[in-house]
Amino acid sequence: MTTKLKEVDVLLVGLGWTGGILAKELTEAGHQVVALERGAMRSTENDFAVPRIRDDLRYASRNDLMQNPAKDTLTIRNNPSQLALPMRRLGSFLPGEGVGGAGVHWNGVTWRWTDNELKVRSLYEERYGKNYIPADMTIQDWGVTYAELEPYYEKFERTAAVSGKAGNLRGVIQKGGNPFEGPRANEYPLPALESSHASDLFNTAATNLGHNPFPCPTANASRAYTNPDGSKFGACQYCGFCERFGCEANAKGSPHITVIPIAMKNPKFELRTHAWVTKVLKDSTGKRVTGVTYTNVLNGEEFEQPARLVVLCAYAINNVHLMLLSGIGKPYDPVAQTGVIGKNYCYQTGASATLFFDGNYFNPFMGTGGLNARADDFHSNWNFDRSKYGYVGGATLGAGMTNGRPIAYRPVPAGTPRWGKAWKDATAKWYNSAMNINASGSVMANRYNYYDLDPTYRNAFGLPMMRMTFDYKENEHKMGRHIAGVINEIAKSMNPTSLNPASARSGSWSVVPYQSTHNTGGTIMGTNPGNSAVNKYLQSWDCHNLFIMGASVFPHNAAYNPTGPVGALAYRAADTLKNVYLKNPGPLVSA
Amino acid sequence: MKIMNKFGLILAGSLFGTSGAFAADAAHGKKLFEECVACHSLERGVNGVGPSLQGMFERKAGDVAEYRYSPAMKRSGIAWSAQTLDAYLAYPQNNIKGNRMPYSGMPEARDRADLIEYLRTATK
Repeated sequence: MTTKLKEVDVLLVGLGWTGGILAKELTEAGHQVVALERGAMRSTENDFAVPRIRDDLRYASRNDLMQNPAKDTLTIRNNPSQLALPMRRLGSFLPGEGVGGAGVHWNGVTWRWTDNELKVRSLYEERYGKNYIPADMTIQDWGVTYAELEPYYEKFERTAAVSGKAGNLRGVIQKGGNPFEGPRANEYPLPALESSHASDLFNTAATNLGHNPFPCPTANASRAYTNPDGSKFGACQYCGFCERFGCEANAKGSPHITVIPIAMKNPKFELRTHAWVTKVLKDSTGKRVTGVTYTNVLNGEEFEQPARLVVLCAYAINNVHLMLLSGIGKPYDPVAQTGVIGKNYCYQTGASATLFFDGNYFNPFMGTGGLNARADDFHSNWNFDRSKYGYVGGATLGAGMTNGRPIAYRPVPAGTPRWGKAWKDATAKWYNSAMNINASGSVMANRYNYYDLDPTYRNAFGLPMMRMTFDYKENEHKMGRHIAGVINEIAKSMNPTSLNPASARSGSWSVVPYQSTHNTGGTIMGTNPGNSAVNKYLQSWDCHNLFIMGASVFPHNAAYNPTGPVGALAYRAADTLKNVYLKNPGPLVSA
Repeated sequence: MKIMNKFGLILAGSLFGTSGAFAADAAHGKKLFEECVACHSLERGVNGVGPSLQGMFERKAGDVAEYRYSPAMKRSGIAWSAQTLDAYLAYPQNNIKGNRMPYSGMPEARDRADLIEYLRTATK
């Protein structure tokens, strides 16, 4: 039996970064907001205090802060001719769960995606010609520009305590920053982090080869900080327990210490944890949503929560799943190339080399999520001529120290036995004398990389699991070969005692080893209902009182981490909702 | 111990109101307190990641009710004074081994003196 509750103004599905931003902004504007979060409450004092948070086994190996695949998971395959099977253990990516979402256990790396991404199709066609983009590469312009997002990028950086060094202030290139970033109105809210020894060695080598390294912008507070909302940050202690952990020192930009507690103090806001949304409901016309159904996962009780406005703020994958389960928008069909829900699923790729320096000490236990020097010469640098290599997109390069955790971090030279005395000797010898140079690479949308509902497998609620069909295409392989060569050139110039060189990946993508949690697409934004699920304000083309936040709206994936535009787009949507939509509800862009 | 001796002199200066190069600067201490405030409040009963500091100079380490201290802090037997706090803030993990405060320390004796000067009144 489903209990029908009283209608609310605004219903948020999920309470991480985007849900937190909307909860704060909309309650402050006087609207009544209810957030339904499928996971538990979380706070630094109760959940992330020392020493319990520094548990490599519990949090990193056993993914204690992540979704439990026994309740719901995806089925996975590489191409439409294969049979998809459920991912029964988390591997390649780690979706977060609980109050604060993945904003609790991210590294903090915060980029401003440039017009290279936001206007990807028109810029590449203009420079390289229409035939340069392969026929099955379904990339498109996003419908927003860097100039429109700039103030919202800044707003998010200030909320999240981003440390960095500007490379382009109002069009003037700044020494020490990223010369290829979009023009910034202001400096970063906090100065860059300390540099690690690995970053220093990389900086010198990369600069000598003509590249332009700079400190990675990241929401690890380089010093104590109070953000514009009054949220207090401690200074990063470089403890090395960032990614997959909550910050013990309140030094990482996280929604559970910023926007969420502000919303929680507002009587207009209500949070219900352990509330798993199973469907978004539509009215008889199909043009409006009327609320959601959800299950209290602690006791199985089912509720209908009517709402005047519904905003999907769950993890990217779960937003798409909910749209497919709710039958809102036409599901994407890769053969007929019709429909949009599930379209343009993208991921990331990469390459890395490990360098061993006898007698050189890197102290890997001193690190933080974004403690990196990076170079953007083969990514946001539009002057880099891709036609020599024949690909679209690019990769950032860098080196630093993000952690030296006892289980996770065991660098040994290639050829070392995988166990026994020789392995033990090597791991002891090289733990403190190794560093890594890595590339993070973009993945362009492809006709055959997509999501739909699995015909066979069902989750704990009896609902069809979502099926992911994904593999790297020739575009990514071309980029991987180029960028592995660049890494190896830099690595060799550093003259290490021994080198595990970078190699381009060649086989199919596998869901088993961890790779990246930057899953994008599925409910993409765009310029018209034929090519996208939501408009430039993240409003559903089908139901005007449904909005979708997060990286599921990205039409493709860059080499950059996604949280910068996720935060900026959420702040922009919050402004649109407060100032335009909620005053006069209706479609914001005419179809 | 060198730092301690130096600090003893600084403290004496501030306690007896001697003005001069080493007088502790509470205004600067208030600014330095920004490093603490993400975890410690000055209000009675408001505990965050760390315990409230209200009334700390009348207390022993580890005795704020409702706050879960590390066994190391509870066992330390320290009564907070300008001197014991100075030693703790200089290098917390060395001073009370196994305590849970995730803070690497304030290395400058002058900074610690200023912070303690601020806390002497702010925690009342």
